[in-house]
Amino acid sequence: MKKVYIIALAVIAIGIGVIMTSLKSTATYSDFKEATASPDKEFHIVGKKSNADEQVYNPMVNPDEFTFYLIDQIGEKRKVILHKSKPQDFDKSEQIVVIGKMNGDTFEAHDILMKCPSKYNDAPNNK
Amino acid sequence: MPEKILYQGEHLWAGNLGFLLTAVLFASALLSCVSYLLSDKHPSYLSVARIFLVTHFIAAVSIFALILFMIANHYFEYQYVWQHSNKSMNMQFLLSCLWEGQEGSFLLWIFWQALISLVIYRKLGTMEPITMGVMMMVQAFLSTMILGTYVGDVKLGSSLFLLMREHKDFMNMPFLQNSNYLQTLDGRGLNPLLANYWMTFHPPALFLGFASTLVPFAMAIYGLVKNDYQSWLKIGNRWAFFSVMILGIGILMGGAWAYEALSFGGFWAWDPVENSSLVPWLIMVAASHSIVINLKNKGKSGIFATHFYSVSAFILVLYSTFLTRSGILGNASVHAFTDLGMQGQLFLFITFFIMLVVWAFQKNKLLKIVYIASSALFLALAIIIGYKKIFLLVWSGVSVVSLVISYQKYYQNQKEENSSSKEFWIFIGAMLFFIASMIIIYFTSIPVINKLFGFNKAPISPLDYNRWMVPVSVFIFLIIGFSQYLKYKKTDFSKLKKVLLIQFIITLLLTSALVFIVYYKDSTATTIDKLSYCVLIFSTIYAVAANVNYWLNTSKKNKYTLPAAVAHSGFALLILGALISTSRKTAIKPFTESTGVSSLSKDFDKRKSILLTQGDTVKAGHYFLVYNKKEREGQTVYFKVDYFSETKSGQKKLEFTLYPKVQDSPTMGKAADPDTKHFLFYDIYTHITYADLNDTEKTTEDTEPTNYKGHVKDTIFAQNAIVIIDSVYANKTYKEFEKNTNDLEITIVMKAVDVSGRIYKAHPKYVIKDNTVFPTTAVIDELGLKFTVWKLYPASEEIEIAMSENTKKKKDFIVMEASIFPMINLLWLGCAIMTIGLLMFLIQKVRK
Repeated sequence: MKKVYIIALAVIAIGIGVIMTSLKSTATYSDFKEATASPDKEFHIVGKKSNADEQVYNPMVNPDEFTFYLIDQIGEKRKVILHKSKPQDFDKSEQIVVIGKMNGDTFEAHDILMKCPSKYNDAPNNK
Repeated sequence: MPEKILYQGEHLWAGNLGFLLTAVLFASALLSCVSYLLSDKHPSYLSVARIFLVTHFIAAVSIFALILFMIANHYFEYQYVWQHSNKSMNMQFLLSCLWEGQEGSFLLWIFWQALISLVIYRKLGTMEPITMGVMMMVQAFLSTMILGTYVGDVKLGSSLFLLMREHKDFMNMPFLQNSNYLQTLDGRGLNPLLANYWMTFHPPALFLGFASTLVPFAMAIYGLVKNDYQSWLKIGNRWAFFSVMILGIGILMGGAWAYEALSFGGFWAWDPVENSSLVPWLIMVAASHSIVINLKNKGKSGIFATHFYSVSAFILVLYSTFLTRSGILGNASVHAFTDLGMQGQLFLFITFFIMLVVWAFQKNKLLKIVYIASSALFLALAIIIGYKKIFLLVWSGVSVVSLVISYQKYYQNQKEENSSSKEFWIFIGAMLFFIASMIIIYFTSIPVINKLFGFNKAPISPLDYNRWMVPVSVFIFLIIGFSQYLKYKKTDFSKLKKVLLIQFIITLLLTSALVFIVYYKDSTATTIDKLSYCVLIFSTIYAVAANVNYWLNTSKKNKYTLPAAVAHSGFALLILGALISTSRKTAIKPFTESTGVSSLSKDFDKRKSILLTQGDTVKAGHYFLVYNKKEREGQTVYFKVDYFSETKSGQKKLEFTLYPKVQDSPTMGKAADPDTKHFLFYDIYTHITYADLNDTEKTTEDTEPTNYKGHVKDTIFAQNAIVIIDSVYANKTYKEFEKNTNDLEITIVMKAVDVSGRIYKAHPKYVIKDNTVFPTTAVIDELGLKFTVWKLYPASEEIEIAMSENTKKKKDFIVMEASIFPMINLLWLGCAIMTIGLLMFLIQKVRK
């Protein structure tokens, strides 16, 4: 067998592996409804913070716990417990992605991403 | 129609000149491209083409100078100037303002490529027409990105020279109704995160790296079109390695910046924006090494691979540009640019050059025509009848199939390399680099795949990237090590056996020692991960050892082999440092006595955040941390954190002080900047995650007392402590009281636990004397707490207590995280050695 075929086979095998990794990766963007349906799976929930509800961050009690309410993209609101300190720019954030799992009625997040106006980018802030 | 306002003080000439220059920039690139391509058959066009080339360069420099002039003189009537600079700005950040925005960074890119074109065109000889034609074609496309004109309804590019009142996002701003608005207008200024020296050097290095990939691209296209696979290799070789060096420096500067000044928690986060600069670099490494082999073998081995890698690096630069600037990444990246409405334009840019590449690879004239015709047809159909995704997929399929068909043609008249030859293993190594780049770009493209197939996949985690990159790297470093000792054509292993065996033993010893020091046992990684880290440590150490050995022995005899040995050992050190510092990064965790408030939380083990109250000492890891004070300097708030160690006699010794800071900009929000203490073998990295940026000493009054009703052992939350009704005792029993006298003294023990776990007690009393109640107040001075017993309820055994707090006593606090990065200096050392090696190589080539 020519070496080039062995190499080609190896490359194809790697390719399949990579694609499988990405397809098997359980994390998906979703909403609270779907996350509630499969509490064992990790989800990335995109949404906006609810300004009507209270946010609790009491670093004296636990600096690694911040609680707030998030409205997902289809309008469902859930309590989110973030196991991290409250992000400094949280109050300014427009869009939020929380990463974690559903636990009963609350979403337990281990990470948060925020899109803030005009940070790292030059979006017009014309309000 | 509103009345036309006569604005005062605007410098309209600048914008007009700017638009004119941009038009010249575009037109000269296009005309130069066309005349260059014509000059291939009609040499008389050559001088015209060169004139346009020089014109193009002059236009690029003029635009550069003009916009700098406008920023320096605060022409805030222009949107770009307004958005990226302000009056109070330090002039040393002038350049940073220029390339902070998307249009400015396009200009930087155009400028570098124009400069490279000017440097290179005279050296190309007969290769000039096609090579320069392709380069000018790219320049023409790039120039459209900053044109800012409309063709029909389609906006082409985004201009640097648009007035605020002409910009659709800003034209309705109320101040623009005032004809004299420029008197008071100040710009928004540079993002404080970017106002540092990194921003002055990182983008130019990165964009010079991107720009330099254009040379191998254009030259490879020349080679394919002219079936001349050899002439371009000599010049291509230098530029490919130049590109590897500059792009490498640019990427590493980005990493250093992220590590030193941004709170990403490391130097590499596999963010799409980072990946999209890494991928072209990886491909350029593959391309440059294939070129070296081809140069040795007189353009007869791996023709397809060499040309394919050479064009791919630039195509991936374009694809990265598309990813980071089209807004398609959306939530996947924290620092992608926002969409300027150029998705379509960027998309056309990349499809055009992919078509050019696939077309150039076809050897059969008919196939060339069929490919171009079908591609054009798909594109036209997509625009006219829609179903864009389907046509895009079909077109991609056709392109891949065409490439595979053409591959056969290049392979036919080649003989296979001997598997003991140096070139065979360098090709394998180059291919591994290419595979690594494809894995990364595939994972990075998940948002694009989502869009194409309607999936909803979240980005791959950094751990998944690492798991794929570790095994690929293992093979790469083994090859980097042993291929130094192989000979071209064929290697006689009998002589090598001894050397290789000694190297293997030395490496094994060093690896064992290092793994013992690094100590993976208490790491949280899985067994397989730990094992693969150890294997990678082995292979990187092997690569260092083999190359240093080669460097010390063989390179003495043959000085031409020295740069490669230096650069390779530097690269291996770099990855070794990256591997150890990333996989053994450990958080300095807060350590609290069991009585502490923090122990109330059940998931205390997961704690990373350290809460520091001003003046208190908190044990974290091996250190005792004290938060001293904060200081505001303009928009920056510094927090002074002392690190103490404990000597054997139990005394505290100040080790070092760090000043992590938070940038607090009214327009850009808050951003934490870490501070790092560098030691030889490790770094201590500290950043603020939460802090009150305002001065705390505002109120001195006690709060209104609040009444709490509860039983013994109930808890009350105060602002800076937890208060527990500890116990109640009386000087006589209740029965005695009822029977005998009217006097009673009841003492309530209030226990307060502050954040550091310290316990305070207060004893408010409830005294009944002659049927009158005398409540007494007790105070915990340290916490500013005041307790008064309000009422007792003997029936329900409840106690009502009034508590007030003095907020002046509420201490300032910060929440921070601290990590140890071990061996990170290996990474920086590796960077330096690799860069020196590449520089030596280039100097050697230029002198020769």
